[in-house]
Amino acid sequence: MSDRDLHPLAADYLRRLRRAARRLPRGERDELCLEIEAHLLETTSAASPPEQVLKVLDRLGDPLDIVDAQRPLADARSDGRPIREWWAIALLLFGGFIFGLGWLVGLALLWSSRAWTTRDKWIGSLVLPGGLALVPIAALVASSTQICSTSAGVTRCTGGGGVSSNVLQLTILVVTVVAPILTAIHLWQGIRQASRPGRAIRPEYR
Amino acid sequence: MEALGDRAISQLRKGVLEFCVLGLLRGTERYSYEIVHALGELDGLVTTEGTLYPLLSRLRKDGVVETTWRESATGPPRRYYRITPAGEATLAAFATEWARFRASVDVVLERGIADE
Repeated sequence: MSDRDLHPLAADYLRRLRRAARRLPRGERDELCLEIEAHLLETTSAASPPEQVLKVLDRLGDPLDIVDAQRPLADARSDGRPIREWWAIALLLFGGFIFGLGWLVGLALLWSSRAWTTRDKWIGSLVLPGGLALVPIAALVASSTQICSTSAGVTRCTGGGGVSSNVLQLTILVVTVVAPILTAIHLWQGIRQASRPGRAIRPEYR
Repeated sequence: MEALGDRAISQLRKGVLEFCVLGLLRGTERYSYEIVHALGELDGLVTTEGTLYPLLSRLRKDGVVETTWRESATGPPRRYYRITPAGEATLAAFATEWARFRASVDVVLERGIADE
């Protein structure tokens, strides 16, 4: 799919559509974008006056509405609020403390949701497995880690109180705390983008 | 905030749109944009043209239309739509129901106006 023959406004619209359609299964996403691209190529050209292109885009409508028509995001029962997705995020972050099972439930909710792309689901699964419950485990591992180096036939090990061990401990702790939180924020932004209400054509299109 | 009337009319549009697509395909085949353009020309039928593409996709899945891709001299390949026998049957059933529906609503509206 190339944007070479499209007016810049049309190309931008198509990019927004592709971004909005990320949550769709690949086949549906590609098909929808192909159809809309064909529509844009029929109705506009790179040399079209901006007002004409804007009129076409206006008639096409908000990309989020088009994607929603393909696969509605909101569950009728939850009145448009992504309850399942909130639980997934919360359990991925804190569920590990419930004998690890809570995190597994969060993982199941993550993968069964239609709100996130596969890429986001992998991020949610791997960064970091166990969520914040990993922090105490990581702290334990870090404190018992020894760093050994050999020079001139003598092996020296530092650990359990040495400076380099403290730095390592701190680094591991920071990573295990920060990474799951960043992942949770990333996932939350993913659902917020897909379900934000009151969508209208962006001001720069008017 | 949408008025109650706006929402009802929007639902009405959504309800009849797929039959209008089928109606456009009777006895002929058209490609995606042709269908969208034709519906867009009809007053009051379509507000967001983009949402017609998911509708066409659903009609394909439902088996009331079938499609073939054909190369176009002037641009990207075009997807041509044809109505299937199942689609013809659905359309015929709708046409009957619509005639009854429209007649009844007209009676109520005219009576309402006459009583004022």
